[in-house]
Amino acid sequence: MKLLLRRVGYFFLFLLFWQVAVMVLGIKEFIIPSPLKTLSHIFQPTLAAKYQWPLHIQATLTEIMLSFLITAASGNLVAFLISWSRAFKTLITPIIVFFNSLPKIALAPLFLLWFGYGLLPNTLIAVLVAFFPIVINTSTGLEQVDEDLLNLVRYLGATKGQIYVKIKIPNALPYIFSGFKISATMCVVGSIVGEFIASDKGLGYLLKDAQAFIDTPTMFACLLLISLLGILFFGALSLLESRLLYWMPQTTGGGKG
Amino acid sequence: MNHVLKSTDSLPSPSRLNALIRWVTRSIQKNLNSIFVVLGFFLLWEAAVWIFRIPPFILPAPSTALSHLLFPRADANYRWSYHITSTVLAIGLSFVATSTVGILIAIALAWSRKLKEIILPAFVFINSLPIIAIAPIILLWMGYGVFTNMVIAFLVGFFPVVINTITGLEAVDEDLLDLVRYLNASKLQVFLKIRIPNALPYIFSGLKICSTMSIVGAIVGEFIASDRGLGYIIINAQYSMNTPPIFSSLILISLAGALLFTLVSLLERILMPWTALEAEP
Repeated sequence: MKLLLRRVGYFFLFLLFWQVAVMVLGIKEFIIPSPLKTLSHIFQPTLAAKYQWPLHIQATLTEIMLSFLITAASGNLVAFLISWSRAFKTLITPIIVFFNSLPKIALAPLFLLWFGYGLLPNTLIAVLVAFFPIVINTSTGLEQVDEDLLNLVRYLGATKGQIYVKIKIPNALPYIFSGFKISATMCVVGSIVGEFIASDKGLGYLLKDAQAFIDTPTMFACLLLISLLGILFFGALSLLESRLLYWMPQTTGGGKG
Repeated sequence: MNHVLKSTDSLPSPSRLNALIRWVTRSIQKNLNSIFVVLGFFLLWEAAVWIFRIPPFILPAPSTALSHLLFPRADANYRWSYHITSTVLAIGLSFVATSTVGILIAIALAWSRKLKEIILPAFVFINSLPIIAIAPIILLWMGYGVFTNMVIAFLVGFFPVVINTITGLEAVDEDLLDLVRYLNASKLQVFLKIRIPNALPYIFSGLKICSTMSIVGAIVGEFIASDRGLGYIIINAQYSMNTPPIFSSLILISLAGALLFTLVSLLERILMPWTALEAEP
């Protein structure tokens, strides 16, 4: 707790330094806006009204949430099938490994071409980017089971279903959550890049749009909101993890110390 | 892989070399299977396009994409070598810059406890953010061009390298450190003889992440604004609904990615030859 406070302290020190540097050195607003100037674009009612923040935040948030739900469901299902069926595994694993090694974000324009503008292509881009980490993490987790334990329960006549429900899936939970956390960031990245390329709303769109007008404070405000969305999402997942996996030793934080 | 080695070890008189050769052929055989599956996937795609008569602007056959690459087209004539050079340059230079600077900064941070305590949490925090979102701001500051894309690629790939390297530098057996300290090893010696060799596997896994990230950064930079590069071709072709060049570019980008990844793996094998004989960590 003390450590956290100190880190927050450093962060505010950094912001203060930034604010003072911009004011003292007279850095132009369109190059680097001060933190206060950036915040004013979000919170000052007259200024903020121009940017329709709720609309853009909602659009991006919807894409992130939707893509995460789709990814989490489909990714875990595929990983489960890989683990369950040997035939499925031999057939699908090479394709997954192959696609995972591709820079999937490069496929984004194709999705625009196929699905037009808006929510659907951006969500699907995010799904594509975030899908593979979940599959790989979950299937790793389902494999990482103590062989002796498996032999024991097999000897005791456990069915395959029981083995999954009682042993493999609980055992895979930490891996599943670490996959969730990776893919949470990926969902944000995918949505934002989708909005960069073509969209008419969302924080990525506004960021790109503000760039055309050299409206740097708005760009920083967008960046701030995107980061906040990412952090909140990541934090929520961590919280859920610590609640669900209370029996696991806490590994977050600065290691030993 | 591990049990393969063990089983050959337990044979009557297997030499080390023999085991290695056996391991290599086995892993090729294993990969052959995967190669066949992936090839099968592309054949299926090709066949599906021909059988269902899918128009090329929706989904071109792999052969169509290849032919766009190899033969000049009247409708979409891209100067491939020009764009390839630009993208490969952006990816390659940013990868080299990221890995060099990233590793050096990680060593500096691991060297000084004070510095690490302040900066590392900030880096871990930034690493969890969608860094790519900063791309338009970089563009605003630096204008168009290959260098801008390099900077974007640098920023995207930088944090994984630093964090992995530091993790590796710190993950040293405490007893070993106590021993060499007792033997009066200097800090430099500890780094050169223990910490850095120990960090190599972590560094390489960071570099592998970075190799993908550099490509993502460079391509997204070209998406957002550029007048050259494979990412530019993809966007340009998308505007004119000319799908085959998109797939041609994707083939090239994937090849570039595979090449970079192979180079990193090769370097890993050269610098850490013992990984070929040991089990994977």
